[in-house]
Amino acid sequence: MQNQFLQPQIILLKEGTDTSQGRGQLLSNINACIAVADSIRTTLGPRGMDKLIVDNNGKVTISNDGATILRLLDIVHPAGKALVDISRSQDAEVGDGTTSVTLFAAELLKEVKLFVEEGLPPQVIIKGFRRASQLAINYIKEIAVSVERKNESEFRDLLEKCAATAMSSKLIHSHKDFFKKMVVDAVLHLDQESLNEKLIGVKKVPGGGMQDSLFINGVAFKKTFSYAGFEQQPKSFKYPKILCLNVELELKAEKDNAEVRVEQVSVSKEYQAIVDAEWKIIYDKLEKISNSGAKVVLSKLPIGDLATQFFADRDIFCAGRVGADDLGRVIKAVGGVIQTSVKDISHDHLGVCDSFEEKQIGGERFNIFEGCPKAKTCTLVLRGGAEQFIAEVERSLHDAIMIVRRAIKNKSVVAGGGATEMEISKYLRDYSRTVEGKQQMVIASFAKSLEVIPRQLCDNSGFDAIDVLNKLRQKHAQGCKWFGVDMESESIADNFEKFVWEPALVKTNMISSASEAACLILSVDETVKNAQSQPPDAGMPGRGKTILYGIY
Amino acid sequence: MSAVYAQDEYGRPIIIVREGQKKQRVSGIEAHKSHILAARAVANIVKTSLGPRGLDKILISPDGEITVTNDGATILTQMEVQHQIAKLLVQLSKSQDDEIGDGTTGVVVMAGALLEEADAMLDRGIHPIAIADGYERACNVAVAHLESIADTVPFDKNNTDMLMRTAKTSLGSKIVSKCHDKFAKMAVDAVLSVADLERKDVDFELIKVDGKMGGSLVDSVLVKGVVVDKDFSHPQMPKELKNCKIAILTCPFEPPKPKTKHQLDITSVEEYKNLQQYEKDKFNEMVKQVKDSGANLVICQWGFDDEANHLLMQNQLPAVRWVGGPEIELIAIATNGRIVPRFAELTPEKLGFAGTVKEVAFGTTKDRMLVIEECANSRAVTVFVRGGNKMIIDEAKRSLHDAICVVRNLVRDNRIVYGGGAAEITCSLAIEKAADQVSSIEQYAMRGFASALDAIPLALAENSGLSPIETLADVKSRHATENNPWLGIDCNLKGSNDMRKQFVFDPLLSKRSQFLLATQLVKMILKIDDVIMPGEIEG
Repeated sequence: MQNQFLQPQIILLKEGTDTSQGRGQLLSNINACIAVADSIRTTLGPRGMDKLIVDNNGKVTISNDGATILRLLDIVHPAGKALVDISRSQDAEVGDGTTSVTLFAAELLKEVKLFVEEGLPPQVIIKGFRRASQLAINYIKEIAVSVERKNESEFRDLLEKCAATAMSSKLIHSHKDFFKKMVVDAVLHLDQESLNEKLIGVKKVPGGGMQDSLFINGVAFKKTFSYAGFEQQPKSFKYPKILCLNVELELKAEKDNAEVRVEQVSVSKEYQAIVDAEWKIIYDKLEKISNSGAKVVLSKLPIGDLATQFFADRDIFCAGRVGADDLGRVIKAVGGVIQTSVKDISHDHLGVCDSFEEKQIGGERFNIFEGCPKAKTCTLVLRGGAEQFIAEVERSLHDAIMIVRRAIKNKSVVAGGGATEMEISKYLRDYSRTVEGKQQMVIASFAKSLEVIPRQLCDNSGFDAIDVLNKLRQKHAQGCKWFGVDMESESIADNFEKFVWEPALVKTNMISSASEAACLILSVDETVKNAQSQPPDAGMPGRGKTILYGIY
Repeated sequence: MSAVYAQDEYGRPIIIVREGQKKQRVSGIEAHKSHILAARAVANIVKTSLGPRGLDKILISPDGEITVTNDGATILTQMEVQHQIAKLLVQLSKSQDDEIGDGTTGVVVMAGALLEEADAMLDRGIHPIAIADGYERACNVAVAHLESIADTVPFDKNNTDMLMRTAKTSLGSKIVSKCHDKFAKMAVDAVLSVADLERKDVDFELIKVDGKMGGSLVDSVLVKGVVVDKDFSHPQMPKELKNCKIAILTCPFEPPKPKTKHQLDITSVEEYKNLQQYEKDKFNEMVKQVKDSGANLVICQWGFDDEANHLLMQNQLPAVRWVGGPEIELIAIATNGRIVPRFAELTPEKLGFAGTVKEVAFGTTKDRMLVIEECANSRAVTVFVRGGNKMIIDEAKRSLHDAICVVRNLVRDNRIVYGGGAAEITCSLAIEKAADQVSSIEQYAMRGFASALDAIPLALAENSGLSPIETLADVKSRHATENNPWLGIDCNLKGSNDMRKQFVFDPLLSKRSQFLLATQLVKMILKIDDVIMPGEIEG
């Protein structure tokens, strides 16, 4: 809408600039957010559905992960973008619960839409939300059950349960038992201090069933491109020494711009000398490597056919063009240092592992290092019927890994399946009655919006949401604080006893970021949107540069 | 309801997604229906290729190249399907191809049938996830049942009877069934000669499948050695060599050049002559080095010019030039030789050995090939396929690949189940039995899985010209009454339904993988309720 005055018309902004302000704008922002949340509503919970998204390049993604879907939707609406951002921050911070956070934020806005329409100042609502979210977070901390890491097997049990809950909504939920072990094994293999999840390598091999996925206690990577002679190298070692290089092992010009002048060909044998010199350079390198005692030679840069054959002659295995992250993980696992020169290789620079083998997995060959002494890394080899399928398995495992990681660091857990949300909702509702003034309404509506999670779980599973919610409210009022939706009995159950556990951090982060996003959207009352700048070839001659006014 | 396009209170549209209006979106039950339709269409295309009486398809690529095949994976990849769900099915058959190598048609037909059953259940209002869960459960029952009925086939290097039979089952549906025995034997021999029976590993890189037009399929041979599509560098070199000591070189027969950029200025005639002499000396030296090492055949990765060629000829040193990297490697492995990067390093130990090397010409064509046989290491083999035209050779190669894969799978795990639909029928019965014990709604999905399994024997019967329903009912009732899990569809009309007597075997691995892959893919498709696609690109 353009700013219009009666007479004369004053043009304040450039033509094509879209501005809107006031309550109408606020409502329209809220509507946009609700629409965004609607699009991922059905993915929540064990009975949630997946989305198939095709991007402009024709790449297909099938996913159930809220953050992934929202990212791929390519949302341009400014208010809608805020929701995408919170789902991303949840993904980065916690790794799971990305759908819930978006749904909750949209629900908060939906609840207060009525207040806005009736003229309640947004600032009052914001204040109420801030207070409610603070209370909720404190309450979660209060009720969360903390598990001490005294008993290893008990602790492992806890982690497996958290992993299983994170997986329950994903494609792999029927193989929870299989994957939860894998995930927990993977995380426990990491350095318990830093828990860098980047050290868990994930390799995807199409073919086979999900059950054929492997957990490798060490490093595995796909066979690299090899030259003639490679097949003559031995393919398995026990206790090999491993040398990692960043050196090109090829017969080549040593300096690109060097020029050699040869005066006479035959007499002084100068010509032959130059050729020999070049050979000597590469042979010296190779000789040094084989003298170092290494049995497996890996390099980031290519290892040429000459070197391949040289190593084959000496029963050494080599692989060139190993990816940087793979090589990094090898180093982490077997010890040693990546060498940038072959001079002066001492024993400290070599790594060791119990066994090295080249193995066929599906249609690919893999180099596998197992039994690594410094094993702070591991590899998951995922199998499945289609690429998209494996990609989704990978995303699901990522979520589970993040959750397990969080649970290790942050040892308190709460029950899932909407139980925690119902309990906080009850707490806030009770609290709101003790507050005077408008805040009461706002906090009550915050409490009500929390119920969206169990409600959506019921809706997605085809249960009668009203019925289930009423049962839940009654149970919670009686003080059974862990009652939530139960998929198996299609009713309610004590989810803590059912071992539907989640780290408390998922919930606290969800509540704080959702309420912040809601506050942000509520505090905006004007949007000035510039006309889209024209692509240069569509050319509108004579127009000046677009001045950006963006305030969103 | 969509996020693609929304309106505010005043009816103004809010654009939320970039180019919102152009995106297409299908969601809910409509999405399910469209997926199922697409998947069924794909399954129907390959359905007629199933079984020994299955028919072939002709596929014409954009370049006008023709492929005739009845291999499910090949058909689907060449079709270049557009639909997203159909693409998933293509990948499904490809996965089966990568993992098992055989049964690529069956897996697609099964996925199609599962979705068809799901369609009917969706109409009844069963939640898609409940269907998916039921399928998963049924699949577990089926896999467990398969393992319980599986038979172990004994085999060793001398007793290959059972391997032959299994290979024959795989070849049964292919064009090569004309010389069934021959191809089955080739496949078995090829695998066994490269297999590492202790590690249960078969390295496919050691089996080379080559083809040449002309002759007929019967003329195909298994060469226990290497076949190279090259000839001797000089036409007057001997055509057949015995007891060859082979020098395998990766350096050209020319004066060595530095890799560093260099320039050679010739300023006088004298120098030019010197240079010429130098080159000549070099050639002589090289030939001498080869001779000294004791080699009587040179295989070279690079070329050599006419002068070198002439010298080699004069020194009675047969040579082959421009042999590619992978072939050089194969020759080195077969002859136990080492690849030598320069002449100075030639030593007698590095030479390879082969009993005979001969140049073979085919028919009236001038194409010649080198056959290296009786090698020191018998582990590298080459299957050499002949056929009337390119299409037949290609198809024969593919069939052979399938058969080789089947034999490989048996080497890995020597348990088998019975083919001809027998395994599917007995699993179907087992699932129906198990379904009755399930109290939840998944019972229906399990029954659906059971009837979907019938699709394979049905298609087999239909393709064989039998009355499908009648035949299936007959076999199924016999399964139930005789409790005999090896009854299948008598596709070849031999008068017996006993697959054990007809020797129709499938590796357990292959069937298991078919079930698992199809179920998991169907599960994935059922979970999708929303498809967002960019619209047609304008202009």
